[in-house]
Amino acid sequence: MSNFKIKNRVKDGALRGLIYLCTGLTVGSLLLILGYIFVKGVPGLSVDFFIRDFNDKTAYVTLQETDDLGVQVEARDDGFYITSMEKGSPFASAVNQNGDRQKLTKGDQIVSIGDTKLTAENCGDLNALLPDTGQVQAKVVRVGGGIFPLLVTTLMIIGLSLLIALPIGISAAVYLNEYAKPGKILRSIRFCIEILAGIPSIIYGLFGMLLFVRFMGMGFSVLAGACTVAIILLPTIIRTTEETLKTVPESYREGSLGLGATKIQTIVKIVIPASAPGILTAVILCIGRIIGESAALLFTSGTQARIPGNLLESGASLTVQAYLAAKEKGDLSMACSIGVVVILVVILLNFLSRKVGKLMTKF
Amino acid sequence: MDKFIVESMNFYYGDFHALKNINMKLAGNRITAFIGPSGCGKSTFLKTLNRMNDLVEGSRVEGTILLDGDDIYREMDLIDLRTKVGMVFQKPNPFPMSIYDNIAYGPRVHGIKKKAELDALVETSLRQAAIWEEVKDDLKKSALSLSGGQQQRLCIARALATKPEVLLMDEPTSALDPISTLKIEDLILELKQEYTILIVTHNMQQAARVSDYTAFFLLGDVVEYGDTETLFSTPANKKTEDYITGRFG
Repeated sequence: MSNFKIKNRVKDGALRGLIYLCTGLTVGSLLLILGYIFVKGVPGLSVDFFIRDFNDKTAYVTLQETDDLGVQVEARDDGFYITSMEKGSPFASAVNQNGDRQKLTKGDQIVSIGDTKLTAENCGDLNALLPDTGQVQAKVVRVGGGIFPLLVTTLMIIGLSLLIALPIGISAAVYLNEYAKPGKILRSIRFCIEILAGIPSIIYGLFGMLLFVRFMGMGFSVLAGACTVAIILLPTIIRTTEETLKTVPESYREGSLGLGATKIQTIVKIVIPASAPGILTAVILCIGRIIGESAALLFTSGTQARIPGNLLESGASLTVQAYLAAKEKGDLSMACSIGVVVILVVILLNFLSRKVGKLMTKF
Repeated sequence: MDKFIVESMNFYYGDFHALKNINMKLAGNRITAFIGPSGCGKSTFLKTLNRMNDLVEGSRVEGTILLDGDDIYREMDLIDLRTKVGMVFQKPNPFPMSIYDNIAYGPRVHGIKKKAELDALVETSLRQAAIWEEVKDDLKKSALSLSGGQQQRLCIARALATKPEVLLMDEPTSALDPISTLKIEDLILELKQEYTILIVTHNMQQAARVSDYTAFFLLGDVVEYGDTETLFSTPANKKTEDYITGRFG
């Protein structure tokens, strides 16, 4: 074999090795990240994780006069948990300090009954702690550690921001594809959209904080968060919709116009319905983007880990709380559990967006 | 009775002079065929008659085109014009919706909402286009699931549903197999009773079979225009003769 050939073969092998190495590094780091988050996060997942409040909630409740509380508690490291409860138990019809009913259930903690704190000694027979007559107060704790309010907040932000961004984005795409004449203006609009897509989300967060939170007076609220995210979504919606509008055959437009339909009728009744699969794909991509968004929301929708009572209340999304859990509480396992949920949802959405396109093109 | 009167009409795509000083009278309730080699302007001419050329960037029309005495570029409303002058395209272009919705589309955009009225229109139009028997049991089916020939008859039915007076047909059978072509030709002859039909075709036999009048276009000029029999048997112009005998084109 000639020298030249050997040289070439060595070079070829080396380059191929390098390519394999790079691929390996990419896949490896992805697996490493996923693996780390799953290993740390999966143990924290349970039904309670999805349905409980995030924070513990302590309350003083008033119990009806009784001589039988009808509950059993179990002492654990961090308190006394109700393990069983009879039907007629006064705990089932307890009233909190606001006068509202607060029904206790299995898994809630009892801290004290009357003036007596529960201890390892007295927790075996709670009825002994009852006074002879009259109502009695009890201090109880509903244990948190769940992500239910975060899920609700995230859903609110998803729904609201899509509600704002979709009409604007689709209209803009329709303008760009159906109305705008090619030229300087169209080019500069396109350029702006490209720029908009490239800005890091923390900048949007700062902008949202100045405009929506401060200037428009929305405060740290779900609404301010949704408005900010809506702006982030615009480039994705516009570009995806425009790509789909381009694929709508010109013959559909001609057919409609030829029947005496106006341009706007043609767009609303033919062009947009024909691009529905693409628009739906855009929606799914957007949902993924919103779920992953944290920097912009941290500054705008705030950090309250509870269900917002209305749109002007603060609420933390999943990723914001994951950040806070890891950064401020040092609770890495909580952050990773949230991470697992987010990753699973994103994978599911990606899968869906592929399926949807195929399903919708049937017609 | 002349349906269209075209007077010294010129048409430009940007700098390109696509139609040169066209003067023509098109008879009502007759079939007029436009023939000629590719790029001769016959399709362009057809599309000026319902102003579909307006969609083309940089196009420009000079001269007048009268429909029943009204100037279609200056006097008539565009929507009215396109309602009166329906169009069937070269490739069947049903909308991606059900058969029923395809037919009902035109009436709906013109404000007809009552279901009974729409039902009646859909049935009459499909019957007129000789496709009712084939589709009456599944009007909810997607129009795209029909065969090419059925799709084209559906498109004719769709054009008829807005109750036009004129039907423009731009090579309506060029994408179809011979049997479907024959069905469409029968249909065209049938429709002549009620409609003025203008048809662009590449197929000389088709022009001879269906049309009453024929116009031969070449490089933007109307070389010869007259009744079909005369034009095909004793063409007055040498170029016409060369074209219809297949010596060029």
